[in-house]
Amino acid sequence: MADETATTEAPEDQAPEQETDELHQGLLDRMTEGLGDAIVGSHIAPGHALWVRVRREAWREAARFVRDKLDCTFFDFLSGIDWMPSPWGRYEDAAGVDDPIPVPDPDAPIETGYAGGDTRFQVFCRLAKVRRPPHHAVILKADVPEDDLRIDSLVPLYGGANWHERECWEMFGITFEGHPALRHLYLPAEFEGHPLRKDFPLLARLVKPWPGIVDVEPMPEEAGANGGGDGDGGGDTEGGDA
Amino acid sequence: MGLVESGKLPKPLTSLLNTARKYSLWAYQWGLACCAIEMGAAFASPRYDVMRLGVIPLPASPRQADVVVISGTVTDKMVPAIKRLYEQMADPKYVISMGSCTNCGGPYWDSYSVTKGIDQIVPVDVYVPGCPPRPEALLEGIVLLQQRIGSEDMASRWRGDPIVVS
Repeated sequence: MADETATTEAPEDQAPEQETDELHQGLLDRMTEGLGDAIVGSHIAPGHALWVRVRREAWREAARFVRDKLDCTFFDFLSGIDWMPSPWGRYEDAAGVDDPIPVPDPDAPIETGYAGGDTRFQVFCRLAKVRRPPHHAVILKADVPEDDLRIDSLVPLYGGANWHERECWEMFGITFEGHPALRHLYLPAEFEGHPLRKDFPLLARLVKPWPGIVDVEPMPEEAGANGGGDGDGGGDTEGGDA
Repeated sequence: MGLVESGKLPKPLTSLLNTARKYSLWAYQWGLACCAIEMGAAFASPRYDVMRLGVIPLPASPRQADVVVISGTVTDKMVPAIKRLYEQMADPKYVISMGSCTNCGGPYWDSYSVTKGIDQIVPVDVYVPGCPPRPEALLEGIVLLQQRIGSEDMASRWRGDPIVVS
């Protein structure tokens, strides 16, 4: 998701060999017509889905439009995204067992996914029309600025959003205004912090390396190649040498 | 049981009582995740037939249980319930920790929500490793627990301070 470049407001600029998607293009056109400048970005995966990024202030209005005018009466899910690269690094990026984990540059620009984004945190939800064919779905996104993590609740429109927003609230710390009972869903009441934020420290990882990386077994063909190379004393980073 | 507490119980009688205890273990089941499927296979299926080992797998309440099998992923949110039910069991009581998650956190060793080993909360007598362990592994754990009970000095167990969970 993150490595795709987003197209903004101009899906017709896509490469000519890409098939056109009349269904999703039609939905986007109707949304642009109905919501106007509330839409700040969009992306169409032909034959698959439509992403629409809206301004935070228009979040509930956009959902209401999608529900009433586009017949998306089914609330699929709602969640948040933290686009910050993990300040602790990724174990997958380490070159070898004993090598340090590369830590990303904290000042590097943040990449965001489909339909673009300007902030570290985003809230997104998928609304679908399931009642009768042709079925379609719209994925709504909104930027939430880091210094003001608030957005309108969708509970007045979709009762099913209740628990999703509670989860998003406790996992990311994003407050949903108008939610009837914003309290912990999964976490114990005394839990501190927001565990799905990228800067949430996993204490077990800070005190010892991931145990799985020590037990890397080479693939059978690599093992055969290493069998000849071991006499030279090379291949320090291979798990098979241990 | 005044005789047992006095410590003057003859050795053969201790052995006899221990044999009686170890072949009538009422096992309370605490199934939390996929390990509970294997525990169900071991305890409830005729294929493994745990009753031939003298284990009665379905007590009506933890107050009637001798051993609790904690199997599956224990989360920090679940810990108070486990502690409370363990404290309701009558002494002498035993704990079998089944599966990697219960033993040490398992694949969730770095999770924000998983307890890294139930032995931080209650004293564990037998650890059954595996992810999940096969039913045979749990049966072996029960046999090991029975060996432990069989060689127990009942007087010290009876006279000793009750196990208090902090």
